Amino acid sequence: MPRIKIDHTKCTGCRHCETACSLNHVANTVNPRRARIRVMKEGDQYFPVIAGPFVDAACTSKQTIVIGDQTYDMCALCRASCPQKPYFIEAETGIPLKCDFCGIPPNPSCVRWCNTGALELVED
Amino acid sequence: MDGCIGRCLRVNLTKGKHSIEEIDPRLLKKFLGGRGLGVKVFTDEVDPRTDPLSPDNKLIFSSGPLVGTGAITGASCNVITRSSLTGTLACAKIRGHFGAELKFAGFDMVIIEGKAETPVILSIIDDKVRILPALEYWGRSTAETEDLFKKNLGDQWIARETFLISIGPAGERLLPLANVVNDRFLSAGGAGTGAVMGSKNLKAVAVKGRHSLYVADGSRFVKVVNTLINKLNSAPFVSQSMSQWGTAFLVGLSYQKGMLPQNNFRWAALSLKNIGTEALNSAFILKSRGCFACPVACIKKSVVKHPMYRGKGMVPSYLAIGALGVNCGISDLPAIGMASMLCAEMGLDPVATGGALATAMELVEKKVLSPEELKIDLGFGNAETLIQALRLIATKKGYAKRLGQGGKALAESSGRPDLFMGVKGLSLAPFDPRAIQGMGLHFATSNYGPHYLYAYTYIDELLNVHENSDPWEIEGKPALVKLHQDTTAVMDSLGLCSKLLKGLKLNNYVPLVNSCLGTSYKAEDLLLIGERIWNLERLFNLSAGFNSSHDTLPDRFTKEPISDGPAEGQISRISEMIPEYYHLRGWNEKGEPPPETLKALELEDE
Repeated sequence: MPRIKIDHTKCTGCRHCETACSLNHVANTVNPRRARIRVMKEGDQYFPVIAGPFVDAACTSKQTIVIGDQTYDMCALCRASCPQKPYFIEAETGIPLKCDFCGIPPNPSCVRWCNTGALELVED
Repeated sequence: MDGCIGRCLRVNLTKGKHSIEEIDPRLLKKFLGGRGLGVKVFTDEVDPRTDPLSPDNKLIFSSGPLVGTGAITGASCNVITRSSLTGTLACAKIRGHFGAELKFAGFDMVIIEGKAETPVILSIIDDKVRILPALEYWGRSTAETEDLFKKNLGDQWIARETFLISIGPAGERLLPLANVVNDRFLSAGGAGTGAVMGSKNLKAVAVKGRHSLYVADGSRFVKVVNTLINKLNSAPFVSQSMSQWGTAFLVGLSYQKGMLPQNNFRWAALSLKNIGTEALNSAFILKSRGCFACPVACIKKSVVKHPMYRGKGMVPSYLAIGALGVNCGISDLPAIGMASMLCAEMGLDPVATGGALATAMELVEKKVLSPEELKIDLGFGNAETLIQALRLIATKKGYAKRLGQGGKALAESSGRPDLFMGVKGLSLAPFDPRAIQGMGLHFATSNYGPHYLYAYTYIDELLNVHENSDPWEIEGKPALVKLHQDTTAVMDSLGLCSKLLKGLKLNNYVPLVNSCLGTSYKAEDLLLIGERIWNLERLFNLSAGFNSSHDTLPDRFTKEPISDGPAEGQISRISEMIPEYYHLRGWNEKGEPPPETLKALELEDE
C-alpha cells in the first residue's frame, strides 16, 4: 500500500504542500486553512502534519515527544482533527478534514509540489 | 482580476481610525499590484517634497496578485515609502510568509498614514483591525518583539499562524540606515523604510487571516506550476547552488571575475580561502528555510559552533559577506554571520550599514577621523569592533550617532565626500562597477539607489544564464540594464521572487500569470507594464529634486582603474553608456521622460 513518508529534517517550511492540497480539494481556491496537510513550526524545526481521523473526545494521552535532543509538544504534531485544536476543520462548514490521498496516480498533490523531498510516496 | 482580493486597508494613526477601500480594477490591470500598485497609490497621494519623517509621508505594504496562490515563489510583499536615507522612493522587499498572510487576512495593500502619539502595533488578526499600545515593545529587538507579541496573544494556535513585520531599535531612533524586518530575522532591504515606520511610532504590523484566494483556471495553474518546478530542477544555479548555499555561492564567481570589492572598494578581494563555499560548509551546518511556496529555499540558518559567536546564527548571504565582510576587510564567516544577524535584530540595513562602516574605516585609515574621536578602534579587518559598532549605531550611543546617519553624511561632515562609495546617498551593493559595467549603469540610474535588488544584471553578466554578456564590455549593456530593470519591476509587481530568474525567463512565467489571473498577457505586455512602473518612479524622483546629475558613480570608479585581480586596469565607462540608456528609455538628454514617451506608456496624466 502506498504511504506518504515524512522526513521533517528536509522540510523548509515553505508550505507549498498546503496550497497544493487546498487547490486540489476546493476548485480554484487556495486557503492553507482548508488544507489537509499543515506545516507546524516547533522550535527551529518544521513538521508537515497530515490530517488523520476526527477525535471528538478530549485527549487523555498528551505527552511530549522527544526526537534526538529536542522535545516537542505532542499536541502540535498530532494528526487528529479535534475540538482542542483549530486545525483540520473546514472553516465554512465545520466539517472535520482528513487526508484522502488525492491525486493517485502518480502522486498525492502535496508530494508532487514538495521539491525538497520532505514528503515522499513509498510502498510498504 | 483573480488572485487579487481587491481590497485595501487604510489606517490613519493620527486619528486611530481605519477604513477598508475597494481597489480600482483598472489600476490592477495597468500596474498589476505589488510594487506597481504601491508606487501608483503612493505617487498619487504623497507630494514628492514631503519630509520623509513627517506624518504626511505614507507607508504602503503591498502584496502582488500571485502572492499566496501557490505560484512558485509567490511570497513577496513590497514596502513603498519615501526613504529618509536617499530622499528617493524606497521599495523594500519582504520575503518569508508575511506577504501571503496579508492576502489571507483579506487585503492586497495596507496604507499607513499619520503618526501615532505613543508607540503602537497594528494588528490585523481574523478580520479584526486593532491599533494596540506598544510601550512594552519599544526598545526591543525585532526577534524579541515577535516572540513577546505572540506570547501576549495568549493562544498558541493563533500565535502559530501570525506573522509580523517590525522595526528594531534603529528604526525607533529614526536612523536613516534602518529598515524593516519580518519573520524574526529576514531583513527586507530598502534602507530608510525603518525610520519612516519609526517616525509614525509604529513598532510592528501583525497579520493572520482565513480568507481564501481564487485562481482563474485551477487545473491549468497546477499543471503550469508542475512544469515550472521541473524546469527549475534542471537549472543548475537554482537547483544546486542556490538551494545548497543560498546566494553565498556568488562569492566565488564574483571573486574570480574581480568584482568582489575589498576595503571600501579600493581593490578586488584578495583571497577566497575563508569566504568561499568550502569555508561556508565548514563554518556552518546549513539548514534551509523557505519563503512561502518556494521550491528552492535559499535562506540558510545554522547553529554556530564558533567559540565567540555561539548560538543560533544566520548564514550570511552574498550581500552580507560582501557589504559587512570583505568590503570592511573581514573574512571570518562566523563573525560576518553574527554581524548580519545583529543587523536583522537591530533593524539595520546590511548594505547601507556596511557601506557606512567601510567609509568610516577608510576615514580612520586616512587619518581624517581619529579612533579617539570615534571612541571605537574601527579599522579594516577588525571584526570585533565592527560588531561592537553595530550595537552602538542601533542604540545611537556616543559617537556612533554620526555613523548612524549613513556613509554620505559621515564623509561630508568629515570633509571627504569622495570617500563615500554610493549613489543618491545609499552605499553600493557589493559589486565593483568597474568590473561589471552593466551593473554599474544600473547602480547609477536606479530609482532606489545602487542595489541589485532592482535589476539582476549579474544573471547575464556574471552567470551568463540567458545571454553570454561580457562583464567588462559596454556594448549592449544599456539594453540589458533596461530589460532587467523592467523585468524586476514586473516580478515585484506580481509578487514573485526575482532570484529565480537565474533559472527561468520572464517568458516561462507568462502561463503562470495568465492561468492564475485569468488574463491574456504576453511577455511584451508585462515588460511594458514594467517600463511604465519604472517611468512612474522616475517621475516621482525627478519632482523630489533628483536629475541626471545624480545618475553617476563616485569618482573612484570612473577615474581610478582597479589596481589588481582579474579585472586589473578596468574603469567604469558609465558616461559612455548613459546617453544610449536615456535614448532607449525614450528620455531626453536631461534624463526626463518627454510627453510622447509618457503617452506611449499611458502615463500622460501623471
